[in-house]
Amino acid sequence: MNDLERRYLRLLRAYPADYRRARGAEIVGTYLDLAAPDQRWPAPADAADLVRGGLRQRLRAAGVTDLIPGVRLAALLALVTASALAGVWGTAELHPPPVEWGVPHVGPFVSLGVVAWAAWLLAAVVIAVAPSRVARWAITLALLLTIALPPVAAALDALRPPLMVLLPQVVLGLLGLALPGRPSRAIRLAPALSALLAVVATEFLVGLDAVGTYYGATLAIFLPTVGGLLLLVGALLAAGLALGGDNRGGWALVTLLTPAGFLAVPGLADSFGPGQGSITFAELAVTAGAVAIVGPAVLLLTVLFRSRRASTRQPSGQPCPTCGARA
Amino acid sequence: MDTPLREPTFLILTALAAQPMHGYGLIGEVAALSDNRVSLRPGTLYGALDRLVDARLVEVDREEVVDGRLRRYYRLSPGGETTLSAETERLRRNVEAATIRLSKRTRAALPTTPRTAGGLA
Repeated sequence: MNDLERRYLRLLRAYPADYRRARGAEIVGTYLDLAAPDQRWPAPADAADLVRGGLRQRLRAAGVTDLIPGVRLAALLALVTASALAGVWGTAELHPPPVEWGVPHVGPFVSLGVVAWAAWLLAAVVIAVAPSRVARWAITLALLLTIALPPVAAALDALRPPLMVLLPQVVLGLLGLALPGRPSRAIRLAPALSALLAVVATEFLVGLDAVGTYYGATLAIFLPTVGGLLLLVGALLAAGLALGGDNRGGWALVTLLTPAGFLAVPGLADSFGPGQGSITFAELAVTAGAVAIVGPAVLLLTVLFRSRRASTRQPSGQPCPTCGARA
Repeated sequence: MDTPLREPTFLILTALAAQPMHGYGLIGEVAALSDNRVSLRPGTLYGALDRLVDARLVEVDREEVVDGRLRRYYRLSPGGETTLSAETERLRRNVEAATIRLSKRTRAALPTTPRTAGGLA
């Protein structure tokens, strides 16, 4: 056994043990057949391929093959939501309070947040016109700019959007990175269209003096409402797909609990905190921490519950697809 | 398995329609069939083969050990042949419809024969 074979076998641990025993030699043999004569290390793309294949096989063994398509569906809904929010906040950034109010602002904008929202709107356009691989880079750029806002604003002593606005945007963007490889044209256009609608609606509401940028008292209502709408759309989609025997929607709905929970953080913190006064940083941090634990935990428990049901199912009498043995 | 088939699945079934093949051979054949547009890696290929075996479109044909390496050969099952035929027919009709429409469009776009102003008079 040479170094390259040993390294491929190490990567093969991504697969379940039973599968490794049955198919490991065949898979590694094929990689070795494809390797250059002097190759000593697996190519990064091969490593990623093995890890992806292993994860897919583990989900398949657990009887939850719909999980990844469900997460991809949730990613699309997350991107539509993130783009719409970027449209709302980006438009609001263009309308700083009148100078006579003496409220600080950043040039012609409300805060430094305008940079991040511009990046999210750009990402929505890139999703519409470029392949998913390129779109992921655009989303990553928007994510990095959003994450960089608090330290940069602190260093420059400039205004930035509140954390309760930035945090759900980051969570939506992280989920959005799981967007499908080849979505249809209509799906690719959805984030840009939602951003456009949000820009038009916000511009209209600003005209009615109904938008108080980030600091309106309605923030604790607006963000949780968006989270609720996200879950409602997810639930309707899940019900519609389930009618056709498609479980993707169910997984998408469970996946969306985490971003919806982060959108609800201001409302939740307001409900659980003391009745009087504004929401404190500690209340927000504790609520966000609880959402960060509960959301993924619900997803994990659902996976475990479904895999247990799949493993206790009665044998179907069908032969093993690989070896032909009957259960 | 639902149709339309995804392109890699269609190409794997097409490759197996000629003869039983092992993983390495399939990767090369799929690349050749697609003019190197579709390049399957082993992790992806064996995942696809598992799904095709589950869907009873592909069967294990035989196993051989060559140079100390296990080679498992796969063949198209009768169900796989039916699915591939149906998908090929569907694609053929689509191609036919597109060809007819395009040729009509080309004919319509052809410039009419220019005439000398005033005719021959």
